[in-house]
Amino acid sequence: MRTVAILAMILIAVLATIPAAGLAQTGAVRIAIRRDEGSLNPYTYQSGYPGWNIMTLVYDPLFYPDANNEPIPWLVRDVKVSTDGRTWTLTLHPNVRWHDGRPLTSEDVKFTFEYVQKVTHSRWTPTTRNLDGIEAPNPQTVVFRLKAPDAGFRLRTLADVPILPKHIWESVTTVAAARAFNNTVGSGPFRVEEVRAGQFYRLSAYPQYFAGPVKVRELVLPIVRDATVSFTAVQAGEVDLSERPLNPELVAQFERQPGIKVVRGPGFASTLLQFNLEHPLLRDLRLRRAIANAVNTNLMVKLLTLGYAVVGSPGYIHPASPFYASGLKFEASKAKAVAILNEAGYRDRNNDGVRETPEGTPLRFTLLAQAENPLRIRGAELVRTWLKDIGIAIDVRVADDASVIDLVWPDFDVCKGRRFDLSMFGWSAPVMTRPTALVDLFHSSCQIGTINIGGYKNAQIDRLGEQLVVTVDSNRQKQIAAQMQKIVAEDLPVHVLYYQDVIMAYRAAAHDKWVFQKGQGVLTKLSFVDPPKR
Amino acid sequence: MVRFLAGKGVQYALVLLFAVTLNFMLPRMMPGSPLVFLAGEDVGFLSEAQRTELLRSLGLDQPLWRQYVQYLGNLATGNLGYSFQKGRPISEIIVERLPWTLLLVGLALLAATLIGVVWGTLVAWRRGSAFDLGSLGISMFFESTPSFWLGMIFIAVFAARLRWFPIFGAQTPGVSLAGWAMVANTAWHLALPLATLTLITIPGNFLIMRYSMLTVLGEQYIATAKAKGLAERTVIYRHAMRNALLPMATVVMLNLGFIASGATVIETVFSYPGVGRLLYEAVLNRDYPVIQATFFILTVSVIAANVLADLLYPLIDPRVRHAR
Repeated sequence: MRTVAILAMILIAVLATIPAAGLAQTGAVRIAIRRDEGSLNPYTYQSGYPGWNIMTLVYDPLFYPDANNEPIPWLVRDVKVSTDGRTWTLTLHPNVRWHDGRPLTSEDVKFTFEYVQKVTHSRWTPTTRNLDGIEAPNPQTVVFRLKAPDAGFRLRTLADVPILPKHIWESVTTVAAARAFNNTVGSGPFRVEEVRAGQFYRLSAYPQYFAGPVKVRELVLPIVRDATVSFTAVQAGEVDLSERPLNPELVAQFERQPGIKVVRGPGFASTLLQFNLEHPLLRDLRLRRAIANAVNTNLMVKLLTLGYAVVGSPGYIHPASPFYASGLKFEASKAKAVAILNEAGYRDRNNDGVRETPEGTPLRFTLLAQAENPLRIRGAELVRTWLKDIGIAIDVRVADDASVIDLVWPDFDVCKGRRFDLSMFGWSAPVMTRPTALVDLFHSSCQIGTINIGGYKNAQIDRLGEQLVVTVDSNRQKQIAAQMQKIVAEDLPVHVLYYQDVIMAYRAAAHDKWVFQKGQGVLTKLSFVDPPKR
Repeated sequence: MVRFLAGKGVQYALVLLFAVTLNFMLPRMMPGSPLVFLAGEDVGFLSEAQRTELLRSLGLDQPLWRQYVQYLGNLATGNLGYSFQKGRPISEIIVERLPWTLLLVGLALLAATLIGVVWGTLVAWRRGSAFDLGSLGISMFFESTPSFWLGMIFIAVFAARLRWFPIFGAQTPGVSLAGWAMVANTAWHLALPLATLTLITIPGNFLIMRYSMLTVLGEQYIATAKAKGLAERTVIYRHAMRNALLPMATVVMLNLGFIASGATVIETVFSYPGVGRLLYEAVLNRDYPVIQATFFILTVSVIAANVLADLLYPLIDPRVRHAR
């Protein structure tokens, strides 16, 4: 017994000294991130969000999206576009230096775009397909020649591709080598100081940053795998921000807590009820319209997101987006749903509670939902309940993301068809911001409508889409986009349920200059450095 | 003896080949392609040729049998391959992760075994008492508690509210520590995951030990020992516990086999950088080579633990030795 007592005393003594060792303050801003992002260079970062956002703290693209997602000149001081929209002449800022002290010149820019054309990168290689040639007539000037005018060139290409240092990357020539390359010399406001795989990243401000002083001395990015734990860590002060949007049920609690600020804004990620338009029954517009009328999106927003969401617009585009066709709205009504079904001859002929087509096929469908996304599962259950009310039977099938993708979007190639009836689905914020989103989503050719997973076909949409992709003037873009949304709202190839707001919580004492990028959140370069002056 | 060992050797070799084949097939039978996890949504924008090129860079354009032959060849030369996701040699990744897992799971096994043995012994001695019933209740509770839930509760109470321990990680991120400060910091981070894992591991050991002890206590030699007037302590620890430990030895050996596979759930909840979390992330990302490698290590260590048990058992149990 005495031995036990002595051991216990030693243990207590040791434990008592430990907390002092761990609580040492670092003075850095700590942001919990959800996963490993490789070595943080352009070929090893992993996720579109937050990976790209963090990578662009180390590297600079030529343009950068501002708080309204408008691309603003970044490494570039002056832009001239020829009247045919096919020649872009850019003048770079002088005095931009790589983290190793060498100057960043037009040669690096030319090298970068030729590099991503050659060494496949899933995000950038496709956006350079339209490039005809790049020239670097002098160290400050770059000339891009395009095969055709390109609506998305500024945002999708110039504001997305980070410029690589030629002197470092020219010896890395294959995809495999690039994906294993861990050099992180960039030109961005932060330098990578330490990478502890699976644990954290440490970045320090680059004192010679061309755009002026960096507002944070050091960034520490610990990997916190579980979302709830990352919010607890913000609450307890172990991190200053979680890159993940806060759960709606935590908002009130966080708003009450001293030292924590909650910022909220529209979110551009969408939640949809996706129809398979090649399904023999669902290709009938009347049926889709009845289903949409039975779904109470207002109630869904209240129940699932506690009101922290915007009800879906039937034209897909978020009302806060500059491309939104104003006034477009979907008024759901259960009575209307029933009327449409009756009129179309979908009646319950055998009194089993499920309507049948005139040929006798019951209106019974499988609705897929993603196991990793509890909100979508609950949304699917609501849809099932509401559709049961109007005599449509739904089996909800929950599977992991990859398995759902395998049915809805096999091999991520819409040319390969689809094997589903209905699916809960959603697209991330970039699908909302790029001007060509409606073309990608709804053009009937699987080469052009690369994310048209429902197999929607409409000749008028195709014609407008082809016009939109070569339109450079942003007002004209908006007009065409509005016309397209009106057609989509009539045809209902998808039923847009809602767009969840982006809510982020941070500790103001560590850093209080966060900039909220509409639809995406505060993890943007603009939170750490002001845009370069012309 | 030689024939016995040779027979065992062939048996284990077959098991290994079967397991390795399964390791190869299982991840590939999961729906979903690794491509998206490499490319994200943007994979939709890639041309057919670019997709093929990405697949080729991973060796996935080859027919399945050729991938399999190559995999076996690599294993034979000790090459675990490259991670799709991280582009790094897997052996390098595992070397980073393994110490954390060994630290966490190893210590938890040690603690859970010691506590389970002593507790089970004491409880069996006082069978039917309030102590026995209470202990059974408590062990049943922890036996049936999901580990992620227990971990979350510990985080909420001991880390978030009381601030005794950190919420996540293996060391304070971004701070360089050395010497005793580093050891102390590591121990401080280890405390909660270790406590969680230990608590959920104890009941299994406790129940087996208690049952085994009860069996032994019914034996006549215990009655003899008591009749000789030996002290209670001597009867419990010398005569009863030693013999009751035999089934525990098997359990410990089995547990040892799983030590290198980590504690997936607990490592994930506490963001602990061990092999278990690596496996979990690899499954989510369809990172075939990493799944294969972690399962391979698991297979090898389970087989090694079995071999060890086969070799050690005759030494600790004379009956096995004489029976042969």
